[in-house]
Order: sequence, then structure tokens, then C-alpha cells
Amino acid sequence: MDRLSSELAATYLRPRKTPSTACSGCGLGANHKIILQAVSELGLQVSDVVWGTSIGCAGRQTFATWKGDGFAGTHGRVYAIARGLRLALPAEIKLILTVGDGDAFGIGLNHLLHAARCNADMTVIVNDNLGYQSTGGQFGWTTPAGSRTDSSPYGMFEPGFMGGGLDIMNILKGAGATFLARHIARDGQAAVENMKRAILNRGFSLVHMPYPCPTNFGSTNLGTRTPVTIYRWIVERSAPLGQETADTLWATGVYLDASNSRPEFSEQVREKGQQIRRTQAA
Amino acid sequence: MKRFLETGNFAVTEGAILAGCRFFAGYPITPATEIAESMSRRLPQVGGIYVQAEDECAAMHLCIGGALGGYKAMTATSGPGYILYADPYGWAIGCETPLVILNSGRVGPVSGITGAPGQGEFYLTRYPTQGGNFETICLAPNSAQEAMAMTVEAFYLSERFRTPVTVLADQLITDGFEDISVPGNEGEMKEMGFRIWPRQIHPGPLFYPATDEIDIPPVQLGHNTGALCSDWTPTEEGYDTEEVENHHRHAFRLIYKIRNHRDLISHRCQKSFLDDDPELIVVSFGTPSRVVNTAVAKARGRGQRIGSLRLINLWPFPDELFTRKAIYLVVELNWDGQLVREVQRAAPKDSAVHFLGTCGDLPTQADLEESFNKLLANQPLTRKGWTLEAW
Repeated sequence: MDRLSSELAATYLRPRKTPSTACSGCGLGANHKIILQAVSELGLQVSDVVWGTSIGCAGRQTFATWKGDGFAGTHGRVYAIARGLRLALPAEIKLILTVGDGDAFGIGLNHLLHAARCNADMTVIVNDNLGYQSTGGQFGWTTPAGSRTDSSPYGMFEPGFMGGGLDIMNILKGAGATFLARHIARDGQAAVENMKRAILNRGFSLVHMPYPCPTNFGSTNLGTRTPVTIYRWIVERSAPLGQETADTLWATGVYLDASNSRPEFSEQVREKGQQIRRTQAA
Repeated sequence: MKRFLETGNFAVTEGAILAGCRFFAGYPITPATEIAESMSRRLPQVGGIYVQAEDECAAMHLCIGGALGGYKAMTATSGPGYILYADPYGWAIGCETPLVILNSGRVGPVSGITGAPGQGEFYLTRYPTQGGNFETICLAPNSAQEAMAMTVEAFYLSERFRTPVTVLADQLITDGFEDISVPGNEGEMKEMGFRIWPRQIHPGPLFYPATDEIDIPPVQLGHNTGALCSDWTPTEEGYDTEEVENHHRHAFRLIYKIRNHRDLISHRCQKSFLDDDPELIVVSFGTPSRVVNTAVAKARGRGQRIGSLRLINLWPFPDELFTRKAIYLVVELNWDGQLVREVQRAAPKDSAVHFLGTCGDLPTQADLEESFNKLLANQPLTRKGWTLEAW
């Protein structure tokens, strides 16, 4: 059941970190609410989740918001920390990571792919504000082709991981992820439902969530800081999977649900370890 | 007590297991690969976890994850991997996470010569990451047996000081076969001077107070204590902050928790023939010290008043060992001179401090004897046309 943001915040977020420290009009909060709504609908308690974050807008603005235990990794490395943590924590504890597009698809991509490869149980939510916005607005690896940013003043002309026949989801699928979805926060309950499936998967899940940045991407590339206008721009370029048009940049929905189809990393390591101990004298 | 004819890599692995290490993540690299190999064999036998990482940066981050989840964790590498630790090393220093790192020095820069010993990371063990505002701990064994002991000690110090500790070895120590005794029980461990400090759980929710105190348990996740840790400057509660005052308190803790408890660390050294006010003191660490000690003993036989000071604790630098006025000769496995700069800084101002460098191979007895003779006769050190004073 849909809960008010204030209820979710009271249950799961630290008062010190609410309201958010994000820019006025930032879409990150809407993504954050989708995640918390899913957590709430799954009946998870604060003690059931360890929350990890990255560097950049998405990481810093969500760091230490979760009432329970939390950590932030160095840029791009949170997936490796989470993989080590996964091996050390009890299997029941969920690992949820809120990260940015530069962190996941740029500097951290190798670690992200290896977390997917070994199907380590974690849910990575890539909050994609279409580039490096906390450093002033440079293009990133999922910035739409042609975008004008502070580091692509003539329009971004080198290929990214989105568009031109490429989709970062294909790489993650090939690497071994077992749940992949893409949503914009406006997808509402559909996004919540798929977020729940991502969290429930005992393996590597990733949800890609493009969201508007009024401060940099909006103002530089779209000529507006009005959140509604930027949101509309994103919505117009989104379509449910299977209903894409020539203008679709972000096909939304579940890309892959291979939940629980492959052994989970920590479980595999633990089981193999027990087997070795049974058969080998130390 | 069991005796083995084995490598330093074996000794480090067994030392780590004795110290309670149950988590190792590494990336293959000569000449430390065998530590990863033996960990992959041994850790599952004792209920531990071995992970092979996609690179060294990931390896140390995996160790951070393991440590945050409660494991005593370790990684091992050589110079080209050690530099990739810069990122997680900083994180572990800043979040005060206990970890042990073994660096088996080879010849650099970069890949250099893979199967030969070098000491190019003396300063890197002091500044293994960017940003400053911290002190580090580094131990340098000179044998396989001592590599085991220093690995155990590194775990002990890392727990008490809540910080990563580097054991700086070299290719000859980790690859070389030596007579190694492995204690079989606690009594034997005590006899060998092995100290163990158990992992305790930080009760949270505070991160750490502004204090130079040690023995505060490290932050751990998964106990629902509200623990926070991040790469940003923390408040005492672990929240990220941009406030300079908070940073000052954080930096004070990182620096002075180590500086103010140096007595726990910096007594470790080997002094030979230093009791009769020698004219010349030869300073070294790691494998070259074994050649130096032999050469100094021989010189004594010839009646030369020479002593040997072998450093085991490199950082914090043991300034207090350099109070004597003498001629100092610093012998290192690099051509640029690194330790010599610290000796120059720490020695009495009017001391003559000289440098004998080599790399990839140990100095010979003849090299050392020639250097001793020249220095005692007030002659400059030159060899093979190289001006060895130019450090």
C-alpha cells in the first residue's frame, strides 16, 4: 500500500538527513521514495538492511539517510566493498546500494561487472542524472548522444552505453546479473513492484533509474531548470519495453528476471568451504 | 612446534592464520602470488574465505568489506599492486578499519623486474594514499621466520590502532626457502612473542570521538548499531561533513592515535655492535640487512669500529634510534635513496650520512667492505663510475 513520504521517512530515514540535501527540484528524492516504498511493502525493518552508497550526487545525498547501518565507498569501489561485506554478513541481511551513473557505468564498471559475474546478493539502484552533475555537469556514459554539457560544449559526439544500438543492460546481462530493470520514478507502482523483485532476488540485481537534474543537465542541455519540464523531457523519451519508438532513449520495465536461477556468490563460497572442511584436515 | 623448509610466502600465510585472519582477497602478482595460492588452499580448511579479485584495488576493497563484516582480513601484493591500493588504503585509514597488507618489494618503477628484490616503496608505505593527515604503521622483516612474526604483529597492531598495517618484505624474503618454525599452540606462540588482539564490535552509533586513544573497537556493519562509515570527512557520529573543525578532530585522531603510542611499535629493531660508540653505523632494513650484518661482523674482526642498526619498524620512523653522533651509511635496494633521507633528517645535524644503493641484487661483501674502508678514511663513495652520494 502506498505510504506517504513522511511516513516512510519517519520509519526508515534519519531525521538529521531529512529533508534531503539535494538541489531544489532534483529528481533523486522521487527515486529514493520508490526504493523505500518497496522496502516498506516487503516488510523489511531497519535492521534487515545495510545501505551502501557511492560518490557523486546520488551517493552523497543518500549516504547516512538510512536509519540503520550505512557505508559509502570510494568512487566506483562500493561494489567491491559490498562483495566483501556480502561474504561476511548473514545471508538474511539485504544489501541495498544507491549509486550514480558515473560511479556504476564509468569508474566502477569493472567492479560492477564482477559483482554481477559472481551473482553476489545485492540490489544496486543506479540513479542516473545523465552525467557528472555534482562536479558541475560533465557528460557521462549514459548521457544522451548530442547532449551539450560543460565537457561537451559542441554536443556529446562519442558513443555512450545508451543509444546507437547499445544498452548498458546488455552488458550487465552478459556479465551474469540475475535481475535487471529500468524505471523512471513516474512509473509509480510498477517501479515499486519491480524494485521489490530486485530486492527479493537472492543474487545480483540492478535497477537503472534516470532522473532529472535541474541544476546542470537541465539548465545546460535543455535550457530550463524547471523540474516539470525536465521530467516531461525524460518521460517523452521513455516507453515501456516492447512499445519503443524511434525517439525512445529509455525502455522501461524488467529486462531480465533470472531470479534465483544461478548460485549466489556468498552461499557458494560458504557451501564450498564447509565441503572442504568436511573432507580436508586442516 | 613444527619445522618446515618453506618460503616466506608460506610463513606469512601461516602467521596470518595464527593471528586469526579468516579473509583474504588478492590478485596474482609476482613475487607474492604464492601467498594468494596458499591462502586459497589453507583458509577454507580453517573456516576462512579466499577471494580472487579483478584487480588489486578491488582486492583491498573486498578486504574492507570483510573487515566491516567482522573478519580479520589481509591482502598481499608487490609494488605495482601496492600502488593500486592507494584508493582503499585511504578509505581504511580514514574509516579506521583494521587490515594487514603484505608488500613483497621487487624492482621498479612500474613492472620493472618481477623476480628480483627491490626497496622502492619505503616512502610509499608512509604515504600509501593521498590527502595526508594521517600516520601509518609499517613493519619490515628480514627473513621468512620474521615475516611470519611480523604478520602476526601486524594483525595485533591493526586491531589496537584501527588502521591498515603494511608488512614490507621483498622478493628474497617471500620467494626464498628457509627453515621455518610454526608454533602449534598458544603456549608456543607466547614463547615466540606472538601477540593476538581479538576483534571487538564497536557498539555504535558514534563513529569515533576526538581522541588519541587506541583500543576502541572498529566500526562494524550488520549489527544494527547505526554504524556509519564513508570516504568523506566524518563527524564524530560518522556523518559526512564539510566543516573544517570536524576535519581537524578527525585528522588529530588519525595522526596522534599512532604518534602518541609509538612505544607499542617503534622499539622493534636489531642493534649489532652499537655499544662501544662506533665510528660508523650502517643502517638498513629487510634482506640487505643480512648482508650488512655479516659485513659488519667481519669488519669488527678486522678491528674496525662499525655497528649495524637494522630497522624493523619503519613507520612511524624511529627517530630516537639516531641520537649518536657518527658516520652513517644507509644501505638500500634502490638507486635513488629513500631511507637515507629519513636518516639524514633524524641523525644529529653534524653527522655525515652516506648512501650505498643497489637494486635487483644484494650488495656484496666486497662492496660493503670497500665502502666501510673509504668512509673510515674520509674518502667519498664512488663505484663503477656512479656517484653514489647523489641521493
